[in-house]
Amino acid sequence: MATPATAAEPAILRLSGIDRRFGGVHAVRGVDLEVRPGERRAVLGPNGAGKTTVFNLISGEFPPSSGRVELFGHDVTNLPARKRARMGLSRTFQTSRLFAGLSVEDNLFLGALGVGAGHLRMVPSSKDGRLREQARAMASQVGLDSRLDDLVMDLSHGEQRQLEVGMALVAEPKLLMLDEPAAGLSRAERVKLTEMLLGLDESITLILIEHDMDVALRVAQWVTMMHDGAVIVEGTPEEIRGNQTVHDLYLGSGLISHE
Amino acid sequence: MNPIVSTKRFSWPALIVVVALAAIAPLLVSDFFLNSILTKALWLGIAAASLIFLAAYAGMVSLGQVGIYGIAGMAYANLVLADGGAGAAWNPYLALIGALVIATVVGLGFGWIAARSEGIYFLMITLAFSVLVYYFFSQVTGLSGFGGINSVDLPGVVGSPETDPVPRYFLTLVVAVLVFLGLGALSRTAFGLGMQGVRDEPARMRALGFDVTRHRTLAFGVAAFVAGVAGVLSVFYNTRITPGSINLAQTIDVLIVAVIGGLYRLEGAWVGALTYALIDNYSREWVPEVGNVLGPARFNTLIGVLFLIIVLASPGGLIGIWDSLMAKVRTPRRAPAPKPVPQTIE
Repeated sequence: MATPATAAEPAILRLSGIDRRFGGVHAVRGVDLEVRPGERRAVLGPNGAGKTTVFNLISGEFPPSSGRVELFGHDVTNLPARKRARMGLSRTFQTSRLFAGLSVEDNLFLGALGVGAGHLRMVPSSKDGRLREQARAMASQVGLDSRLDDLVMDLSHGEQRQLEVGMALVAEPKLLMLDEPAAGLSRAERVKLTEMLLGLDESITLILIEHDMDVALRVAQWVTMMHDGAVIVEGTPEEIRGNQTVHDLYLGSGLISHE
Repeated sequence: MNPIVSTKRFSWPALIVVVALAAIAPLLVSDFFLNSILTKALWLGIAAASLIFLAAYAGMVSLGQVGIYGIAGMAYANLVLADGGAGAAWNPYLALIGALVIATVVGLGFGWIAARSEGIYFLMITLAFSVLVYYFFSQVTGLSGFGGINSVDLPGVVGSPETDPVPRYFLTLVVAVLVFLGLGALSRTAFGLGMQGVRDEPARMRALGFDVTRHRTLAFGVAAFVAGVAGVLSVFYNTRITPGSINLAQTIDVLIVAVIGGLYRLEGAWVGALTYALIDNYSREWVPEVGNVLGPARFNTLIGVLFLIIVLASPGGLIGIWDSLMAKVRTPRRAPAPKPVPQTIE
């Protein structure tokens, strides 16, 4: 099996022998995964393959049934989500989890505040101004600068997905994990999203779950294919396109396009 | 799940008009009205505001506010010179601070436990807390006297309410305005916005690096401080405190006040409290005798019916009705917006 180009550097994320059961369901089986700094990785697989569960195990939504999670060289297996976030891990959710009763700017403000100090500050401060600047800059980066004061509940689906990505980016993460950012987007919106992902700072490591192969295979340098809770193949986008197992899995779905 | 709420910001002109009216009220109304309606509505409103603050900004509907205010009231009554209780005979101002500190500390401690539960479980654990406080003071007569603590010493600023209720009214008014403005300002701070984040999406808050339990605990502590203020003011109002005044019925009454006013806006607290005080006092005169169903003594029936109507017609309470009326006035009827062109998703 080929190795990523940056294999010489130590891994930013390492999963070893990760298992996760939900009652009788064995959602993730013995997953090993290594992601290196600056890498762009796509995690593909049919519905129910365990991709989002792997994301939740990495971000710390819940602990693995067995196995070990290492982030930035530290064992974080038993660390809660908020501590992993503060180490530099940011994620989005498959279905938007935004603060519906707050404005776009306030949402991004909280995104920027989360990794900093002063969560419990009860008086106005000059730090708020800096966080708001950060929030507004991120809003224009994800194309929401005209909707700063609008409540999130009044945004369209596409705008909410844009904000979902902005919420993860505004914290200036070292490791960014996007869970189906293109879900439900129009073609034009997907093109814009792809461009934004391609334009991300090279220092940011990106892990992407995506059903849209155009987005995933354009952005990723390295692909992990999951099926039935296990990793079945890893490789470059070209290798994945040509892989027989992948074809069999997606047979008839027409998701893999040949240019 | 909590409904999605946006806590709208109040309008300054409206607040100024209301406060100006309240300020000249002593010239316009009788001493009885000033006392039994307005003063009572103001302190009861503060109690309801502590509940609404938690519900609207933190998504936590608490029945523990009367427990907290009972602790504050009892603490104050025990710390000053009074007939019954510990009678520590402190300076009333010092006792006031002591009572608020005790209420806030108890609130933080209890909040720390309760913050781990949500929704109906949170409601039940806070209800249990209020019942616990009630039974504690009912049974520990060393702290609550036999049938209550009477003739409680009041701070000088209250004056002597039996002869002149105006100073006490103004004190309560000023405190109510401070509570209203203070909680509103707090909601715009880093902590306050975080609280609303916890209300809308706790999982996202954790993913952003926030300690959700700590946020909830502190929110409960803030609400406990406000409930404590209401508790001390209720002692100023009654010049006494009995275990019966902090029982389950009072717990329910504060919830009813909050729901009638509107659970999602702080203003609702005082709207609900004023409505409640008016019905409480005047239903005895207005209400005709109808068999044994309705009559002057049927205050609970009346308030119950009003409660039902409001819950069914406007979950946002009287403030919610006002909001939707204003929305209709502001946006006159017009043709429906053109349908957006459906986008093709390939």
